[in-house]
Amino acid sequence: MADVVVARVDQFEEGGRRIVRHGRVAVGVFRVGGRYYALPNVCAHQFGPLCEGTITGTLVAREETAWRRAWVQEGEILVCPWHALEFDLTTGRCVAYPKLRLRQFPVRVEGEQVIVSL
Amino acid sequence: MAMDLPAPPERLRLADVVVVDADVHAHDTPGALAPYCDQPWRRSLEHLAGVPARYLDIPGFKPNLSLDPPFPGGFNLRTTTSAVQMREELAAIGVDVGILFPDNLLGLAQLPNEDYAAALARAYNRWLVDEWLPEPSLYGALIAASQDPADAAREIARYAAHPKVAAVYLPTSAVYPLWGHRKYDPIFAAAQEAGLPVMLHSVSAISSVFPFNIEQFDTALARHTISHCFAMMANMVDLVTTGVPVRFPRLKIAFTEAGVSWVPFMMWRLDKEYNESRREVPFLTDKPSTYIKRMYFATQPIEEPENGKELVAMLEMFNGENQVLFASDWPHHDFDHPRQVFDLPLTPQAKRKIMGENALTLFGIPAPIKIPVREGGA
Repeated sequence: MADVVVARVDQFEEGGRRIVRHGRVAVGVFRVGGRYYALPNVCAHQFGPLCEGTITGTLVAREETAWRRAWVQEGEILVCPWHALEFDLTTGRCVAYPKLRLRQFPVRVEGEQVIVSL
Repeated sequence: MAMDLPAPPERLRLADVVVVDADVHAHDTPGALAPYCDQPWRRSLEHLAGVPARYLDIPGFKPNLSLDPPFPGGFNLRTTTSAVQMREELAAIGVDVGILFPDNLLGLAQLPNEDYAAALARAYNRWLVDEWLPEPSLYGALIAASQDPADAAREIARYAAHPKVAAVYLPTSAVYPLWGHRKYDPIFAAAQEAGLPVMLHSVSAISSVFPFNIEQFDTALARHTISHCFAMMANMVDLVTTGVPVRFPRLKIAFTEAGVSWVPFMMWRLDKEYNESRREVPFLTDKPSTYIKRMYFATQPIEEPENGKELVAMLEMFNGENQVLFASDWPHHDFDHPRQVFDLPLTPQAKRKIMGENALTLFGIPAPIKIPVREGGA
């Protein structure tokens, strides 16, 4: 495990992201709802640069929504820039394939620094 | 959808094989083609160049009845506007040689004005040869305008000897009548004479002909599922049942952007019909699948079954080791990275053939000197 400084806390805006590299590993670190999450910058589909994708919400259609499309999880969904596969930033879970879950790297705040462990 | 990361290949690496990409797209805007276009249509393109651009949606050039709202988080609509940009982007995904097709003129067959359509094809062909083919890693497919087969045949003859012209692109979306009609015989005769394969390529379109009636689907997903492969299936049936592979025995025919799993279905369906109705198609001296197994199929969008062995078995059903060509469809939203095909559980020999050697032979391209590249993209 290596600790990598991501950013100063006061410079990491809500909804923001930083992509950090350490050796051959690249991860995206995201701030969502005041918490930090880190995912690999490699899509599980065709290995696209996942963490460079759009941060947005997603659509569901369930019995509770009367089978109409409804917008949920604004700011919590990462969309791969290659083929638009969606991942939940807060869990690493793939929206299209819920059994598929990306590795989450631990992120912590130490003093004024956001640090990810790779 | 492969759920697990593919196991690294044991011996052969992607960087070790020549990768020829049978389908990449040059962004052909009205403004780019205008200087290459004959009058009066140059004036038309100069006018269109001033219309605010929308992706593959230009009235009078790439007509598109846009039915769908833009979905948040949807596709990245990438375009590649120069040979240098294309070379760099293809190198980054591990492609050594690309065969160029158009972007907007994928919809050429939709245009009703015959003179205009033929002029656009001539302008594209000049632009392709002048601005793209000087790049060593790029080869091109000429456009044959279905609206004016005699002019298309002249275009093929004009460029037949150009060393970087590798194929003839047959606009297949909304083509009417289908490509087996005898009115197109001059195109097939010219392509056969030139030794250039013809390549069918479709695109989604709201049209009264193939791929037809797709406006009734609720989503773009549903329309896109149907559009490319139905266009290919309809045209394959027409080509075979009008005897094109028999009447032009040296003509090479390739199908693009429909994946591969429709091919066994069409072979066996046509063979079944042939048993009962051979007398209707007396050009054929053997069952339809015999001719289909001599045709070529570009991989993209390659199917992604959980068990890759199922796809390999499917390729074996139609001589895929020798007839399948890797294609990425770069830079479109549904492009395939070469690894998606390379990592299938194929033999090393089949990998080499499908990733590049089949295409080198089909297109008559000298094997590029393989310089190891970073396996990249991510």
